[in-house]
Amino acid sequence: MTGIFLFSEDPVLAKQLLTPALALKGALDQPITALALDGATAADLAALGADTVLLLQSASGWVEGLGDAVTDLVRAATVVLVGGTQRGKHLAAHVAAKLDAGLTTDAKSLAIEDGKLVTSRILYAGLAVGVEELAFPAVATIPPRSYPTPEAAQTPGSVETVAVTDDIRVTVTGTTPTESSGVDISLANKLVSVGRGFRSKDDLPLAEGLAAKLKGEVSCTRGIAEDEYWLPIERYIGISGQTVKPDLYLAVGLSGQVQHMVGARESKIIVAINSDERAPIFEAADYGIVGDLYAVLPLLTAAITS
Amino acid sequence: MPKFLVLYKWTLDEQDIKIKSDDLSLDASRAKGKISDFDRNAIEEAARIVEAKGGSVDVLTYGSAAVKQSLKDVLSRGADKAYWIADASAETADAVVTAKVLAAAIRKIGPYDVILTGEGSSDQFNQQTAPRVAALLGLPCLSLVHKLDVEAGTVSVTRKLAVCTEQATVSGPVVVSVLSDINKPRIPGLKQVLGAAKKPNEEIALGSLGVSPADLQPKAVRRSAKGFVMTRKNVVFKDANPADSVAKLVSSLVSEGLF
Repeated sequence: MTGIFLFSEDPVLAKQLLTPALALKGALDQPITALALDGATAADLAALGADTVLLLQSASGWVEGLGDAVTDLVRAATVVLVGGTQRGKHLAAHVAAKLDAGLTTDAKSLAIEDGKLVTSRILYAGLAVGVEELAFPAVATIPPRSYPTPEAAQTPGSVETVAVTDDIRVTVTGTTPTESSGVDISLANKLVSVGRGFRSKDDLPLAEGLAAKLKGEVSCTRGIAEDEYWLPIERYIGISGQTVKPDLYLAVGLSGQVQHMVGARESKIIVAINSDERAPIFEAADYGIVGDLYAVLPLLTAAITS
Repeated sequence: MPKFLVLYKWTLDEQDIKIKSDDLSLDASRAKGKISDFDRNAIEEAARIVEAKGGSVDVLTYGSAAVKQSLKDVLSRGADKAYWIADASAETADAVVTAKVLAAAIRKIGPYDVILTGEGSSDQFNQQTAPRVAALLGLPCLSLVHKLDVEAGTVSVTRKLAVCTEQATVSGPVVVSVLSDINKPRIPGLKQVLGAAKKPNEEIALGSLGVSPADLQPKAVRRSAKGFVMTRKNVVFKDANPADSVAKLVSSLVSEGLF
């Protein structure tokens, strides 16, 4: 087995994957082969340190259907890194099954020790961190924004075009882009996060007003986005939603369940506002106010103005 | 009439797992079992479709001897028959082993029109089982499904991804993983619980599946699992007058350099 392989259909994430791939190259002394779906990304990956880029000519472009094709291309792999988008995780699981390989989903760290890939990841919805060792070939998916894009390589790699076969059993009949407010909460420096302590969607301006004063954004729990539909999906934080690391995370009217906090616990300062003194959010917070958010938020908003 | 098979996992309830303060190890001694949260959505979805249009719902699980405790629960949630594989290998099984065992069992008890499972398990949330089982069985896989229709051998779904929603169709057998927002799982009533006792369940001996000892060795071996401890300042203001608490909070945040 020789070679480090990487793939993401997300061009930004694909470039980020080169950073851990280059570290693995240093540890294993094996070349990097990147798989790409478009020519521009392929050229970028070659310029940034991939020794070889395989430009896949997929007719459908449906990433989940490329499992068998990608398996054939990475058969020689020692390690395969896949961008941890939803499509990427599906593809990675298929490829790992076909390679008879272990797969770490959402790896937080990667290292080579004694001829194995050692990874860490979250368990029990954030309660614990597990470390596992994977025999080669090993597969890992890497969440977006885990690594920076590397500097340009001294010697650019080469690009080859490869025809691939799609999974024609699946017909994609329609795609509707998620309505986006154009706001990426993962980039916000300060977040006001809304939970079920808010009684109605009409009360959200309380949070929005505070976020505006803070020059931040409003985020929320899964329930607010997926059950109540008060805020777009892209704004919910947690194990299956966004992971954020703002300077200030202001959790308002949310209890602080581990499934939520796993997405926010790397924030610099966490502030909780909750009427229930026993809510777990206070254990997860640097500062807290026990009180009615309907009284506290207007006061806090006014205090920040002055 | 569609034949459904729902794959479910009997997991520890993470709410009951405590972190030991001395070495951050996990204490699951008081943790009760539960049907993994998202697998309940998968069972519910199959049961609803069958109740509306006919068909059948079998369920299948692989776990330690503790999986026997799950049978009554799973059968009270709308399943017609439960298959279970109880073996000590499940204690160390990774997604590789689990998928091989489940695929081997499906070859034995199948075929099924739709094999359903949750988007990920509550404990590991590896999100690998559906694509892996599909790959091993040579079936197409539709993951992260938020709407499911089964009509005359055609399965039509809406998948919900971060970037888009996507409609897709498959003719013939398919593996589907469902999102938690596809439905609200029923809470079984007394009648369902009593009815569950009369429904059939069948143990499948691992030895009967032709899975080799090597296949039961995980490729991903757990080295350690330690509690994640968040060290925070935990300063809580609870003045009778909220304005006092707000003033203290603002001055704290100023001293943190946030304003």
